[in-house]
Amino acid sequence: MSGVRRWSALTKRELLKIARNPPAIVTSLLLPILYLVLFGQGFSGFTSSLNTLPPSLRTQALNQLILGAPDYYSYFAAGMVGFVGVTATLFVGANVIFDKLFGTLKRAAATPATATDIFGARLVAGSIQPVGLAFLVLGLALLLGHLGLSGLNLTASVTVVGAAEVVVAILVLSLMFASLFLSLGFTIDQPQTYFAVVNAINLPVLLTSAALYPWGAMPSWLQSVASYNPVTLAVEVLRINFFGDTFYPHPAWYYLLGLVGWAVVMFALATFLVSRALAPRK
Amino acid sequence: MADAIVAEGLSRTFNGSVKAVDGVSFSVREGEIYGFLGPNGAGKTTTLSMLTAVLSPTGGHATVDGLDVVHSAHALKQRIGLVFQESTADQDLTGRENLELAAALFGVPLRDTPARVSDLLDRLALADSADRLVKTYSGGMRRRLELAVGIVHSPRVLFLDEPTLGLDPQGRAGFWKIIQQLRTDSGMTVFLTTHYLDEADGMCDRLAIIDHGKIVASGTPSELKDRIGGDVVTVRPIGDSPALEPALEALPGVHSVTVQDGAYRVKCPSGDVLIPKIVGAATNLGVSLAGVSLRRPSLDEVFLEFTGREYREDEGPTATDRAVFMTRFQNARRGIR
Repeated sequence: MSGVRRWSALTKRELLKIARNPPAIVTSLLLPILYLVLFGQGFSGFTSSLNTLPPSLRTQALNQLILGAPDYYSYFAAGMVGFVGVTATLFVGANVIFDKLFGTLKRAAATPATATDIFGARLVAGSIQPVGLAFLVLGLALLLGHLGLSGLNLTASVTVVGAAEVVVAILVLSLMFASLFLSLGFTIDQPQTYFAVVNAINLPVLLTSAALYPWGAMPSWLQSVASYNPVTLAVEVLRINFFGDTFYPHPAWYYLLGLVGWAVVMFALATFLVSRALAPRK
Repeated sequence: MADAIVAEGLSRTFNGSVKAVDGVSFSVREGEIYGFLGPNGAGKTTTLSMLTAVLSPTGGHATVDGLDVVHSAHALKQRIGLVFQESTADQDLTGRENLELAAALFGVPLRDTPARVSDLLDRLALADSADRLVKTYSGGMRRRLELAVGIVHSPRVLFLDEPTLGLDPQGRAGFWKIIQQLRTDSGMTVFLTTHYLDEADGMCDRLAIIDHGKIVASGTPSELKDRIGGDVVTVRPIGDSPALEPALEALPGVHSVTVQDGAYRVKCPSGDVLIPKIVGAATNLGVSLAGVSLRRPSLDEVFLEFTGREYREDEGPTATDRAVFMTRFQNARRGIR
């Protein structure tokens, strides 16, 4: 009981800190929003060039390129909604470094709070927040279509199970990246080093995933790499539920399972590193 | 009365070579205020960190409230309070939220928490600012909040690490008044580190003087001052005067004469009476004096007596600071924490 109370008090603290730091929330959303309103709009004409083809050929080409999505922008917007799971978890590790610098972590380590309490609270708070932010980005992507710009066009019917799968995919992706960033936060002492490492992770993760590229246009080696990328796994769950699963080789749960595998590995790594960092100094 | 803290041969070495604490042994009785006095780098904070299970000893062992600091670290943390020398309260939370968080972490019953938090805010004069973010607090308010966080669970032993560092004299006096009141009310044992001699003298029932990681003297402030043997007259001659030392030793009432930095420290029961005789002896020898000063027994004198050097409150970085710096420097070169 006392463990649950410690953990919930620490989680409340984390959520309060997140809520009281709007600039961090804006920064988390900046990259996906810039991609939505600039990059995506710039490439939105990519599939309209197929309009000159006969309808049957056009559909075939679209299905091959963007796996049943109605247009490139919709396909890409789903990728950006998923990518929020990466950008919005970035600050959980930075907060650890600032807590080290300000002595707050030292204070927590001097209380009966265990490494599990301290890590668990940050992990849960850091994983819940991106789900809310991902739905904000989803809302924006839908809204853009009503503002005379390219927007997300959902073509599959929304079901409870489908909505749950979308939430779980973003949550598990966030959990995985929160574990990764917490591991970095507990092992790195300087904010500059942390942000350099995080930048060295973020962009390669995005560029080796299927979040941006039309699947059918990717070279086969990149398809192979992307098929194991956790962002791809989460985004495929979103796309299946947004546009249907006809052109996907596996059902949504298959991708979810792969994502859970990633999360378990990162969670185990984080548990090891955080326990070591919070143990009495040897 | 039982011992609340027992340390035997407690040691801590950093990076295999920097000995921050070198085999200290002492005990603190229940309900006592016990001080560790020493300059920066003496090993005070390192000792305190080992006693509070924040740092593992590399030698010896210690118990606090009967619990081994290594093997019962978790249980130990529930029974002790710790006030750090720097502010560790969460700046993005209010004072009340910080206290509620600490209460939850230390297992204060949920139903008792609001009353306990309000009581502490009142006692530490923080009630009016309880719902403001800590980032808006003054230095004195942060110190008081730090103390409130340290005692929210009514610990049996309270550790204070340089608790009044950076406070003005009025703030320091107020802080110690609160500690005295707490001790009177609850009978908690207090272990504090300080490099303020007046604090150690006025606050501690007993104290240990630590220098270069070793305890060089311990006892009550009165006992330590008694060991000086009365007043100390410092005689500073101009130039070399080898004949002066035996002449001073021969004066009636002189206990001892030692030479430090070209000056003679003369211990005697009454300096007022001795000074004219010292001046007379120097005149007879033809020795010119640059100055003669009288110091009543104080912890400054005690420190000088046992360490052989003047007490300075700002003596460079601590051994821990140096070790942490070296570790960070080496790790930075390797690109890790």
